[in-house]
Amino acid sequence: MKYVLAVLIPLIFLLSFLFACFRKVRVYDSFTEGVKGAIPLILSIFPYVTAVMMLCKLLEVSGLEERLTTWITPLFSFTGIPEDISSLVLMKPLSGSGSIAVLTQILDKCGIDSYAGRCACVAYGTADTIFYIGAVYFAGLKRKRLTSALVIALVSYLSAVVFACFLCRIM
Amino acid sequence: MNILFVIVFSVSTFLLLCIAPEEFLPALLDGAGKGASVCISLIATYSIWLGLMRVWEDSGVTRGVSRLTKPIMRRLFKTDDEETLQAISMNVSVNLLGISGAATPYGIKAAKLLDQREDPEYASAMLFVLNATSLQVLPTSIISMRVAMGSNAPYDIVLPTLLATVFSTFLGVVLTRVFVPPKNTVRNIRKIQIQGAGI
Repeated sequence: MKYVLAVLIPLIFLLSFLFACFRKVRVYDSFTEGVKGAIPLILSIFPYVTAVMMLCKLLEVSGLEERLTTWITPLFSFTGIPEDISSLVLMKPLSGSGSIAVLTQILDKCGIDSYAGRCACVAYGTADTIFYIGAVYFAGLKRKRLTSALVIALVSYLSAVVFACFLCRIM
Repeated sequence: MNILFVIVFSVSTFLLLCIAPEEFLPALLDGAGKGASVCISLIATYSIWLGLMRVWEDSGVTRGVSRLTKPIMRRLFKTDDEETLQAISMNVSVNLLGISGAATPYGIKAAKLLDQREDPEYASAMLFVLNATSLQVLPTSIISMRVAMGSNAPYDIVLPTLLATVFSTFLGVVLTRVFVPPKNTVRNIRKIQIQGAGI
């Protein structure tokens, strides 16, 4: 199982390139053309990432994050979410890069292979950055009736985190 | 997000003003620096995947994938528009591979196309919920992070992540069907249109 997964990503690349050769695609030209798109993509997300990072730092330095976490932790422990990852569960819907930073902190503190560490990794993968996606996808639209969709996404996310922690306990 | 940004920013700044006002500017600078360094490392990640995506596009893999997933997308989104379905199919397929950054352009395109339709509510909600609850099969970024940090078992989290994300997506789809039903939306809009025509 582990071997199969380790092999998967290189294999995807190898097969894709061989298939592209077979279809007479100029792989090098095509690949570099794609890489070119990375810079505009980064430029388009740079303002959001930077603003959110500043906000996260403010949250941390001002002690507001600590207070929020203290308030919400009893609620989370009631549903089986480990205390250590509650800041991640709060951060994940708000910011992808912010939650990567929080995830790194948790893994450093609790250990990568600990129960909380594994819970953090699985919880991180259960949903995407809900608010960010809402902002980006539906920014320029005329009709903005997304409140119900937002609530649905958040409810699904929190239920899945509870489920994820349960899975980590039994697996 | 605008309201949230202002509230969180103001409350934090106020708290900081009370305890340590001199830490305000260093905190912002530190955050901005972190943002920049995260973006630099993301350039590396996106370069790899966007390059591969372009090769897929040019060799026809993309077209094949979207042809395969189209029947499901048509039923799930209740739309027949060819261009919209293509964008949605690509968005979902790229998401399945765990490259959410690359899926965003397709998602934005699909959202804009859906917005022009008569009953965008159900399909837009479905698009948003599918993207928000994350569809990825292989949590590639987490795996590489665990490998980089020297985990003894970096792949241990794959199966639980898969189960949990399938659970969240399934729940999201069901809830969307229940609370933002497609047929009623169409009927309501028709009703409103008929009433409007009558007046």
